[in-house]
Amino acid sequence: MRRADGEMLLLWTLPVLGVIWISAFLVFPGFVHPMSPTLSAEQVAAFYRDPENLPRIRYGMIVFNWFGVGLIPILALIALQIRRMAHRTPIFSYALIACAAGGPTIFLMADLFWLLAAFRPERDPQLTLLLNDFAWVTFSSQVGFLIAQSVILALAIYLDRQERPVFPPWVAHFNLVVAALLMPAAFVGAAMTGPIAWDGLLTFWVRNVAIGVWIAVMGVVLARAIARQRAEGDAVEA
Amino acid sequence: MNDGKRELWIGWWTLVVFYNVYGLLFFVVTRTQPPPEPSLTPAQVVQWFAERRHGLIYGYAFVFIVGGATAIMNATLAYSIRRMSVSRAFAYSYLVIYALATLPGMLIMGVACTVGAMRPDRDPALMSWIYDFAFLSFEGTMGVFLIGSLVWMVAVLLDENGVFPKWFGYLNLCNALTEVVVAPAWIFKNGAFAWNGTIAWWINMGVFVTYTIVFLTLLRRMILREDFGTGALP
Repeated sequence: MRRADGEMLLLWTLPVLGVIWISAFLVFPGFVHPMSPTLSAEQVAAFYRDPENLPRIRYGMIVFNWFGVGLIPILALIALQIRRMAHRTPIFSYALIACAAGGPTIFLMADLFWLLAAFRPERDPQLTLLLNDFAWVTFSSQVGFLIAQSVILALAIYLDRQERPVFPPWVAHFNLVVAALLMPAAFVGAAMTGPIAWDGLLTFWVRNVAIGVWIAVMGVVLARAIARQRAEGDAVEA
Repeated sequence: MNDGKRELWIGWWTLVVFYNVYGLLFFVVTRTQPPPEPSLTPAQVVQWFAERRHGLIYGYAFVFIVGGATAIMNATLAYSIRRMSVSRAFAYSYLVIYALATLPGMLIMGVACTVGAMRPDRDPALMSWIYDFAFLSFEGTMGVFLIGSLVWMVAVLLDENGVFPKWFGYLNLCNALTEVVVAPAWIFKNGAFAWNGTIAWWINMGVFVTYTIVFLTLLRRMILREDFGTGALP
């Protein structure tokens, strides 16, 4: 029996985190039917002032504030798996660690803007609109660290040239596809309607589904890599 | 390409390519560098956003897509510090400080410019606030580069493995000092110390460009010199 090192505990936070994120997503009224950027300042202010919406905005964003950074331990576990790959330097694992804080920090900033808008809904509608714009543009456009994470992981896997690589090659292809699906969201400022707008098909649905699928797939792949690593470790010890 | 050095070359080329891409995006596409005057009136700020609306939106979209490349760039430089005879704490500090730097130092400006450009009919007083937020977050983010350069300086000066020459340690001090002299940009709206001034911008940019070209050259020499053999690496 190996000593508990806590890795399995960290790994099992992922399904719990998934349930919490999906619940918070459903609670926030601005996500289920994503708010249109074409709403006027008065309409945006009315959204925050609506007594039905206000508690759901606050509770949803408070939960995201608590658990938005919850993915960092999983990214740290992925960095550890990169460290086991047949590389000559730790550059890729360093790069993944450098990305790990970026995505969650940016999401936290968007979360702060939403919470600020909801804190005093009676504020001048122009100011509520400004906070709402900052929240949505930050949330939608900031795909850089997520793209980098996927590209770095893909490169690391392609260069992991050993008999039994840590992650199978399809994981690298999958990561490049995810990186490509995240790119259109960066152009969120270019359109108020259509697929690129912040409530549009590419920027909202494709991007967020891609992030969700990435987390689910990487969770399974990571669990398998850790299980294999442990089985090999036990075999060596025995 | 020597197979044993492939990760280092990937890192080095990422540095070279992306410094050029960032330069192009900031100076040519978005036309946000060299920076405009802090003393513009709200009406002039509205005009400023209107003149470069598409450049701001599309230029920063590309910045957002490639912005994460800084991770591999910083990882490569952190690795060079890891090769030095100093504690690992230096490499880890460098990595975290510069990972953090990307947000206030670049991405917040992009978000602010996008928000400003997407609604040209917004109240001019709010446009003026967005403009200040964009340029002061970019120019006025000082500590990460100040402490980051000092960490690198101390590592180079203490290093006994000769990864970088000692004089580069002192060049780090020059770079750190530019972050000291930029502080008045938070106070002055005109003159040499304003965010577009001779001291706060032109001298700083000169030092930064020199510093960047120097460390890219030195890093390339380090990689060429590396004799990995077959053993495990740090």
